[in-house]
Amino acid sequence: MPDPSPPVAEVIASNTREVVAEVYPGATVPAFGSWVEVETEDGTVLYGLTSHAEIGSVEPGRQAAALGADYDRDRIRREMPQILELVRTTVRAQILAYWDGRSRRDGRPVVRQTVPPRPAALHDRVQVCGPEAVAALAAPFDVLRTLARNPDPAVPADDLLAAALRNLSDAHGDEGDAILVEAGRALARLLDEDHERLQSILRRVR
Amino acid sequence: MLDFARLAGQLSDFATYRVGEDGAHAARLTRAVDALDECGPGWESLRDRAQALKGGVLRAIPTTAPHQHHGCGDRPATVTVVATDGSQIFPDRHVEPACYLLNVGRVAIHYGTLDPPLIQAEPSLRYRQQDLADLADDDAQASPLDLTAEVVSALRDELELHWLFETAAAERRSGRPVLAIADGTLIRWMLRGMKNRRLETELLARYVAELDRFREAGVPVCSYVSRPANAEVVNLLRLHLGEDDWSTAPDSLRGLHDRHLFEHRLAQGERSAVFLSRSEVLSQYGPHRIVAFYVHGCAEVGRVEMPEWVANQTGWLDLIHAVVLDQCDKGRGYPVILQEAHQRAVVRMQEKDVFHRILARQVRQSGGAVPSYSGKAASKLAPRV
Repeated sequence: MPDPSPPVAEVIASNTREVVAEVYPGATVPAFGSWVEVETEDGTVLYGLTSHAEIGSVEPGRQAAALGADYDRDRIRREMPQILELVRTTVRAQILAYWDGRSRRDGRPVVRQTVPPRPAALHDRVQVCGPEAVAALAAPFDVLRTLARNPDPAVPADDLLAAALRNLSDAHGDEGDAILVEAGRALARLLDEDHERLQSILRRVR
Repeated sequence: MLDFARLAGQLSDFATYRVGEDGAHAARLTRAVDALDECGPGWESLRDRAQALKGGVLRAIPTTAPHQHHGCGDRPATVTVVATDGSQIFPDRHVEPACYLLNVGRVAIHYGTLDPPLIQAEPSLRYRQQDLADLADDDAQASPLDLTAEVVSALRDELELHWLFETAAAERRSGRPVLAIADGTLIRWMLRGMKNRRLETELLARYVAELDRFREAGVPVCSYVSRPANAEVVNLLRLHLGEDDWSTAPDSLRGLHDRHLFEHRLAQGERSAVFLSRSEVLSQYGPHRIVAFYVHGCAEVGRVEMPEWVANQTGWLDLIHAVVLDQCDKGRGYPVILQEAHQRAVVRMQEKDVFHRILARQVRQSGGAVPSYSGKAASKLAPRV
């Protein structure tokens, strides 16, 4: 089921819970809360939710220093272009589901909403999930459970949940609102009926 | 291990000595600056006298009045600047046959445009005995060719200049000026006095052949020397003052460097007059005799060297002056493009270790003898308590 969209990033650090990927120059950085997928060598497709993005120096020993107020973006491109070559964007994606190639009788893939048995390899390529893949990450919403119960401590969990719900809704087109209601119910149970928190998350979805 | 308690007395003596030296330096400097102004009128006769003298200390030959100084014009709005820098992994005597690595960092930046810069390294692993034999064949008198650090460094310099031209030729665009900047001096005086004369001549000829390519293609080339230790202009002033070459008189200008003089004489942004170097090695440079000017950048007085034909081309001195100054501004004291080239060229300690590990593994896999550490090297790797 891998999406034929072009790769946007490449894995540079990996474990079963998450991957860190360097975004290719010129590629659009996967948005916070959007789904990405990595096809590993044995054909397993790992699904990760983009939970963090950062821009920094390629070389650990070299830090950015202010150029001065007279350097606007255009002047930097024309007069200090080497600086832009030394900068890279990396994203971190929490791996929340995988597909090992199995399908139902009706041909739809069986996406397991749990941590995969093995991590992605370094230099595996990362693609942005198409709507079909995102839609497969809906019911039974176990991905939401992992997000809510085992959040990445470095990420504001509720904002990530809100972004994930928004993408889920968008991927379902006309049925977006219906899926949101369904997901909201699942989330309410996960949050132990903490309605205030649930309302706060849902407000951020809109 | 350094015993600071036992060193303390010597450090304090040094500080006292320095204070005394600073006083003497200031007096020498005043004398030199006065001499520079004084020799302006009638400088031609000083030039002729300097030119006529053979041997002795190196003296700069002024091409215009030596006290002249020039402000900097505008840098062209668009200009392509290229630079290279090199480093090496010297041959390891535990590895047979001998091999070494040259790594050249090369950079091209198209200022004032949105053309993407080129920033790249060109590693070159060399190991064939034949390569060296070709350098100096048919010489029965020659001592056996050793891959000394001196030879490897000379080959690195040559490769730096080679890539500098290749980069300039590939990245120059029509209708846009180009300037190639090398790191350090263009005067290969270190080649003089090699044990193998034929090798020395051959290495020089190859270096000059690279300079020929710049001339044929009409690409201006220069080099930037940071914190130059030259005293050629000072020595010219000593001639003017009638000082003996080896004078030890208390008021002698000996010990003063050209950069000290021009730190005082040049306002920030200005360049000095152009001086011709009398270095002996230049007799083998053909049409590429090296001239130099000093430039007062934002952090130091640097020396900019170039072949004579570059300096003689209308507009190129101003181009070099403006570009080098802009480079020093951008790099906060040292040309930013040379900094980038260096970053690409440098082989870090860790990378050196990986290189040697891979090399050892390859040798092992192909059935060669496994390189081993000498007792001394091994003891340094794992010191015991």
